[in-house]
Amino acid sequence: MNTLWWLALPVLLLPVWWHRKKRVQKQAAPMATARFLPRTEPRQTRIWRWSDPLLLLLRCLLLAVLIAWLADPVYPWRGDTVVVTQGADPAWVEREAAQAGLANAERVTLPAAQALGWVHTHEREWRSDARLLVLGDVPMPAARPAFGRAVEVRTQAAAPARIERHVHIASERAAEWRRMFAAQGGPETVIVDDTPGAATSLIVWDRAEAPPAALRAPLWWVTQPSAFPELAKARALDGLRYADSARGRLWHHADWPPRDAQAARALLDDWQQLHLGPRHFTLAPQTFAAVDGADAPEPSGALRGVLLAVLVALFVLERSLTHARRR
Amino acid sequence: MSLANTALIAHTRKLDLVIRHVLTGLGHGIHAGRERGAGVEFSEYRAYVPGDEWRRVDWKLAGRADRYFVREAERDSHVAVWLVLDASASMAEPSRSVEGLDKLAYARALLGCVAAIAQRQGDAFGLVVLGGGKVAFTPALRGPRHLQRVLSQLQRAVPEGDLPDTETLKASLHFAQSPSAIYAASDLLDWPSPLSVALTRLRQMRHDVRVLGLQTQAEVDASFSSDLAYRDPEREEGVFRFGADLKEGYRRNREQHFSGVTAQCRKNDMPLTLAAIEQSPIEVLRRWLRRPGR
Repeated sequence: MNTLWWLALPVLLLPVWWHRKKRVQKQAAPMATARFLPRTEPRQTRIWRWSDPLLLLLRCLLLAVLIAWLADPVYPWRGDTVVVTQGADPAWVEREAAQAGLANAERVTLPAAQALGWVHTHEREWRSDARLLVLGDVPMPAARPAFGRAVEVRTQAAAPARIERHVHIASERAAEWRRMFAAQGGPETVIVDDTPGAATSLIVWDRAEAPPAALRAPLWWVTQPSAFPELAKARALDGLRYADSARGRLWHHADWPPRDAQAARALLDDWQQLHLGPRHFTLAPQTFAAVDGADAPEPSGALRGVLLAVLVALFVLERSLTHARRR
Repeated sequence: MSLANTALIAHTRKLDLVIRHVLTGLGHGIHAGRERGAGVEFSEYRAYVPGDEWRRVDWKLAGRADRYFVREAERDSHVAVWLVLDASASMAEPSRSVEGLDKLAYARALLGCVAAIAQRQGDAFGLVVLGGGKVAFTPALRGPRHLQRVLSQLQRAVPEGDLPDTETLKASLHFAQSPSAIYAASDLLDWPSPLSVALTRLRQMRHDVRVLGLQTQAEVDASFSSDLAYRDPEREEGVFRFGADLKEGYRRNREQHFSGVTAQCRKNDMPLTLAAIEQSPIEVLRRWLRRPGR
């Protein structure tokens, strides 16, 4: 939208018009016998001359810089670049960069989750002939990204970190619950706490009486809804009722604890998908071709500070010169 | 000699110096026959003023009174000389070949010469300067002090504006009571004009009217620079250019105009002298003062 300001450039014609010297009669030499000549247009009046060319130049520059400031241009200054995610294996990065012919290219290190978004935001800053390579454990984005230029992504899945999930079970049937949590696979390990603490992310409340008022956790699995008045108005989804309370989020299902392996798997998956969020998944190595319609987001005013300083300097100069000319 | 005098007009502000040079070159050829003898018929004494001839100082009286007195004689004639100077804007036309010379300076020098001759002959002389739409009038008197006054008036004339209109000029013609010789210097570009009407009228009143039409050599030859744009100093209309293609038309128009002027002067029996300001002032003055028919 800002680029529409460039359409205001014809404003530069105004000072040009003002500084064009008018045809001055005084320049003509007096000639007493001019009455014996036919009236003809003198030839030299067609020549354009400028009054105060320095001031004209300053004023044109001032207007041009003002329009540039409004249009907020982006100067494409970046050359070949390798974007490396944090924590990537340096040896692998060197090898991949050398293989792509970008061993000497500029390196930018970014958190893995922001790499593709940052590239898209700053897309205009690269010169048209620059090559872009993204290296590291880039997570799969929710939607396929579209870039206005070709971007190559090479990924190496990092070894997943061990994740501990602390669970407290308050139940007479604790053994059944423990068996279910023992079935949890993947990078996560479930640790059953005897007493709930700050690290506890799930409390299984399989009792009829209400829990202590001070007990808090992000998620509660409740088998007896009578202990939690919030569950009375809870909404249901496939038999799972859920509600938010002062203690944390409450889940309730009539058939808990799960009776078979399939139900246990479904519950653990729901826990992961609905509460903890999807697991990290590394993007497959690929090259994104330039998409014509992919517009980079509006520039964020990278040059505005410099332009403003130039604008102020030009304004001061123009005022001083005008004042000096007037005296 | 001629160039020296023309350059003198162009470069000096001292009119009396120019006049002395011109009159020296003129010799005694044009003196009118009415020169009065310094002591032909004694009339009165008057106090000496600078410029009086020493031979007219009465030395016996100076010995007795310890002051200088000049013997004034009775005048034979009552002819007054009137100098008419056209000081309209077009008289500022410069010579395109002699630096600093223009028509007004030339007219001023020649009229100054006529005044000096008139003073030498003992005639009364007055000055009429026409310019800026006004008439500046200096009454006709005799004597060297009056000559200085007339010369300073001539010196002060600047070329500006138009000639005064016919009514103004007509109201100013009251000076011409006694028989007068009228010497008018103009560029004659406006003709008929209030000046032409006035001169014709004076001639009809049987005064001796002599007209000097001043031109420049560039006007005569139609040789103006084609690089410049020109404007008419008296008319605020448009810009003109000069070029080889316009030369013939210019010459034709100008000749047509001046043949009309000449014809009208001849018809009214007013001797007309046309002169270029680059010419020697002595020659021009001789032609101007020469009696017609001689």
